[in-house]
Amino acid sequence: MSERRVIIAVGLLSIALVVGAVGLPTVASGRPANQIPVTHLPGEGDALAGPDSGAWTDVESVEVPLSSAPSGLPNAADVSTDSVTVQAARTDSTLYVRLHWEDPSRNASAAGPRQFTDGVAMQLPAESGTHPAIALGSQSTPVNVWYWNARSGTEEIVAGGPGTITSVDSTVTSEATYDDAGWTVVLARDLTVDGETRTQFEMQHDVDAAFAVWNGGNDERSGHHAVSSWYHYPLGPEPSGPPFATVLWTVAGIVIVAIVLITTYAVRRT
Amino acid sequence: MSQPDLGLAEGVDHQVAMVMDLNKCIGCQTCTVGCKTTWTEGDGRDYMYWNNVETRPGDGYPRDWESAGGGWTSEERSKRQHGQIPSMAEYGEPWKFNYEEALKNDDGPLRPEDRTAEWGPNWDEDQGAGKHPNSYYFYLPRICNHCTHPTCVEACPRKALYKREEDGVVLVDQDRCRGYRYCVEGCPYKKVYYNAVSGTSEKCIFCYPRIEGEGPDEAVRAPVCAEECTTQLRLVGYLDDRDGPIYKLVEQYEVALPLHPEYETAPNVYYVPPFAPPQIDPEGETTDFERIPRPYLEDLFGEQVHDALDTLEREREKVKRGGDSEIMDILTSKNPAQQYRLEVFEG
Repeated sequence: MSERRVIIAVGLLSIALVVGAVGLPTVASGRPANQIPVTHLPGEGDALAGPDSGAWTDVESVEVPLSSAPSGLPNAADVSTDSVTVQAARTDSTLYVRLHWEDPSRNASAAGPRQFTDGVAMQLPAESGTHPAIALGSQSTPVNVWYWNARSGTEEIVAGGPGTITSVDSTVTSEATYDDAGWTVVLARDLTVDGETRTQFEMQHDVDAAFAVWNGGNDERSGHHAVSSWYHYPLGPEPSGPPFATVLWTVAGIVIVAIVLITTYAVRRT
Repeated sequence: MSQPDLGLAEGVDHQVAMVMDLNKCIGCQTCTVGCKTTWTEGDGRDYMYWNNVETRPGDGYPRDWESAGGGWTSEERSKRQHGQIPSMAEYGEPWKFNYEEALKNDDGPLRPEDRTAEWGPNWDEDQGAGKHPNSYYFYLPRICNHCTHPTCVEACPRKALYKREEDGVVLVDQDRCRGYRYCVEGCPYKKVYYNAVSGTSEKCIFCYPRIEGEGPDEAVRAPVCAEECTTQLRLVGYLDDRDGPIYKLVEQYEVALPLHPEYETAPNVYYVPPFAPPQIDPEGETTDFERIPRPYLEDLFGEQVHDALDTLEREREKVKRGGDSEIMDILTSKNPAQQYRLEVFEG
């Protein structure tokens, strides 16, 4: 192979490396891991409140895996829900979170001593920007939970660790539908609210969120439920995700090209 | 004489307790009705009997509760036995009787309006066991045992159940309870009940307002089930009142025993075990064989039942011969101040 052809090949490889480094992360993943995008849809508030509304069609969904929570409760490892599909959108004043999960039985009554009800919850840091322990936070970093139950509707809870959940005056609203495939629930609440222990969405931080599902038909209640790890809503002012990754990969690509060119030059000189 | 260690629960000053003399129970259910009309009428409580009287041998209330788990697995009390929540069918779905039809129109016998019921409290009343002429049964009144080591309390992830510091009464904090029913599973006596209307669990409260002096006439009163009892078979007081009837029957003379001590929850309701007439042979002659098999009583009250029955027999004979017996004096007392000693630890 002539020297000229080697230089051309190295040049093409270098260009491919730069293009790949810049383009690949964007193509492979539109968002960092554990991020749930919040689509800004001003004026769509009424539509977003409906679980079956067409307004949700263009809102990106994230499938959040669930597993049993460590617990001393009987049968705690036996949970039946594998994942919950989460979508989030907001107007200028309200956050809407649409949760869908598969559940073959609708359990909305606790009229008998052995009947338990289906439910879902979203756990947030009581102080947005903090990162509480996953199991209902702790005394120093409490959590705010938006809880929906098929029997009793919505409840807002604060907690500072397991066994400490306390109901607070709630302004969370919900709409729920059930079909054979499972439940779809939209939880909605004003971005900013009264109350020190309730999460404020002030668009100054990303806000952590974790999810839990109870299948009443499987006798799930209390800490016997399927839970996620922490995710987050990208609500801070700084650009995050793809642009940041692009800068990093571009720098890495340029460095690689430089190394290849210098090495080639050095080989030619010897 | 050294005093036995009473083993009160940690953090409890005194332990209120009850002794029931099973030899006096006639199964009239006055205690049941007294309790029901005081505490559990309507609003999700129809099926609940905080006090019930079941026939033994029998399936009890809720049906087969002794097979439903709960309690501790060993005397070390390091691990709890997993329990089950009884079904509504096992409690017995409440029904209404055809009073109008039967009593006013004289149209057929009194019977449930819905005749599909297949089980209920006292469904097997008076059936008992054994063959004529040696058939037998006795009545077993049951309330919450307000245990020293209650597994209902241990089972609650929210600590909604607790033992009161002043008297060891086990209560459900209705503000903390969220209706998870781990307490129902955890109680081996199945004496915690879920109220589907309130969405919380409820149980016998040992009539604590009455023992606190907030009963009728603002006087200190024993629980309704005790005071209403037609044969006055219940004695009420504190286990740690060494001059009281509970201490004497339970600790000093050991003739009153907890039900199913092997559950290891250390109940604070104690039973004087039942006697029955001896068996008779085919010729109608009295034999020396006891009619209620000892193994059956041992299943209910543990090995100590033998010594308890022997002691009681001895004391009865003593009295028959004209002697004195403190045990028999306590068990036959008609003085309310001795039957119900509730004001010994005031202040």
